[in-house]
Amino acid sequence: MSAAVLRASFALLALAALAACDGKGGDPARQYGPNPYLPEPHQYLVPPMSVPEAVGWKPGETPTVAAGLKIQTIATGLQHPRIVYMLPNSDILVVESNSPGTEPFRPKDYIQGKVKARAGAGAKGGNRITLLRDTNGDGTPELKTVFIDHLHSPYGVALVGDTLYVANTDAILAFHYTAGATHIAGPGSMLTDLPAGPIDHHWTKALVASLDGSKLYVGVGSNSNITENGMEVEAGRAAIYEVDRKTGAKRIYASGTRNPTNLAIQPQTGRLFAVVNERDEIGPDLVPDYLTSVKDGAFYGWPYSYWGQHVDIRVHPQRPDMVAKAIRPDYGLSSHVATLGVAFSKGETLSPAFADGAFVGEHGSWDRDPLNGYQVIFVPFTNGRPTGKPIPVVTGFLAKDHKTVHGRPVGVALDKTGALLIADDVGNTVWRVSAAQR
Amino acid sequence: MRKSDGYVPALLHPGFIGAGAILLIAAFVTDVMYYRTSLMQWANFSAWLIVAGLLLALLATILLAIDFLTGRVGRIRWPDFILVALAALLSLLNVFVHSRDAWTSVVPQGILISLIVTILLLVVGFRGWTVTTLRAPVVGERP
Repeated sequence: MSAAVLRASFALLALAALAACDGKGGDPARQYGPNPYLPEPHQYLVPPMSVPEAVGWKPGETPTVAAGLKIQTIATGLQHPRIVYMLPNSDILVVESNSPGTEPFRPKDYIQGKVKARAGAGAKGGNRITLLRDTNGDGTPELKTVFIDHLHSPYGVALVGDTLYVANTDAILAFHYTAGATHIAGPGSMLTDLPAGPIDHHWTKALVASLDGSKLYVGVGSNSNITENGMEVEAGRAAIYEVDRKTGAKRIYASGTRNPTNLAIQPQTGRLFAVVNERDEIGPDLVPDYLTSVKDGAFYGWPYSYWGQHVDIRVHPQRPDMVAKAIRPDYGLSSHVATLGVAFSKGETLSPAFADGAFVGEHGSWDRDPLNGYQVIFVPFTNGRPTGKPIPVVTGFLAKDHKTVHGRPVGVALDKTGALLIADDVGNTVWRVSAAQR
Repeated sequence: MRKSDGYVPALLHPGFIGAGAILLIAAFVTDVMYYRTSLMQWANFSAWLIVAGLLLALLATILLAIDFLTGRVGRIRWPDFILVALAALLSLLNVFVHSRDAWTSVVPQGILISLIVTILLLVVGFRGWTVTTLRAPVVGERP
């Protein structure tokens, strides 16, 4: 028997063995922090999955908060809210949005569309920004009105001076904002275009301004899970851009970040942080999503490798030179939590435990059994760096039996009082979490 | 044996076995193209061709049942039947292999299964794309 035939028989045997393997995910706690446990990757016939059915919240039902906290709704009946953002006058912007929609490439894409729709990801987004205003300071807004309408899959927003920037999926738009405004008319002006179609697989464009307001940072996700839509559609994607606010000139600030779903500036250091969602379908415990400071010029591995030099064999041609360049992110959040939101705390507004660190919204994914994420956690920081174990802050989005899901947290932000705001795109609600005794 | 002026029954299923087989064999060709070029579109073609080939296999199965019910079948040709059944089962497995993302959707297991299916089906093809014999009408019988 020739070597080729031997190899071939081995491959078929491996296939048979793999069909039998059950693929349950382990304890997510092993993957928190700078040195997550990384098992061997697998190639599946059917990737590990569990898909809870989206059922929403009944009146009176809420997520569960950590001891010493209370939770209230501040807006309901929204159209797929993704991002919450506070303006200087305490008005809250809610970005209601979803994917612009993609054409199926393969038979698999039809199945995957159905899977995601069941878990509540298929709903149509409002393509607008709603403004909430709490006039009497009780935390519950009395005014709810459409602030900017007719956007194109918007996601990130950032106010610098009197200019409000909105990141549509294909461009950053600039709108003139006057303090106290409750509506902005007109289409805005384009600061710069952003990589979008064709396909636009990871469509969200996260946005944050530098502390001095001179630069904008934009998160641009990959156009596939792991290059299965072809290398040519990945040009300029899976990267974090730096955009000059005055000229609109942009450059790739960091790359190899598969899906940098949100960005935040660490207030003490001015350092840029990102939450990034890693690749699917090589195991329930691969690859951990992460929170990291973003270094200028750094390459974080996607698609060629993950968590440093762990090569992904699904990418072809392989690039050992790029694998060698890949750096490890700062802090693992465990696998398939699908982080979508990040916001730094503003001191002890919620609890002394949450004085220094970042709140992270974990939307939850389908590619793991048991499910992981579906909560808001707090990652403690020391000296401007994530340290220790994350603390669950808001849970109970997922039913105890993991069969149904009431809501899925997305963007997080702090309001004027330091209370935590959470956009919930399945419950179509914005939640506000504050200290119980106040 | 057959009456020259009479109706000669024909088997319905072989044409569809042949048509499905051609798509499955084409998937081997597109797998090879992907292996040589790393261009994903070839792998997309393979994924569609295998699904389409199996749909025609399903149609062939229905027509085989009709062949039986309408009395056109003489006897089952077991070697061909087993080859076709094996090719269909392997192709079903190959649908899942080809649903992986990027390189491992084809290399090594996908292209290997496509090669085996191609060999099995070519053997069936050289033997006439049929899994049964046609029932020979008895002399004097009017179908």
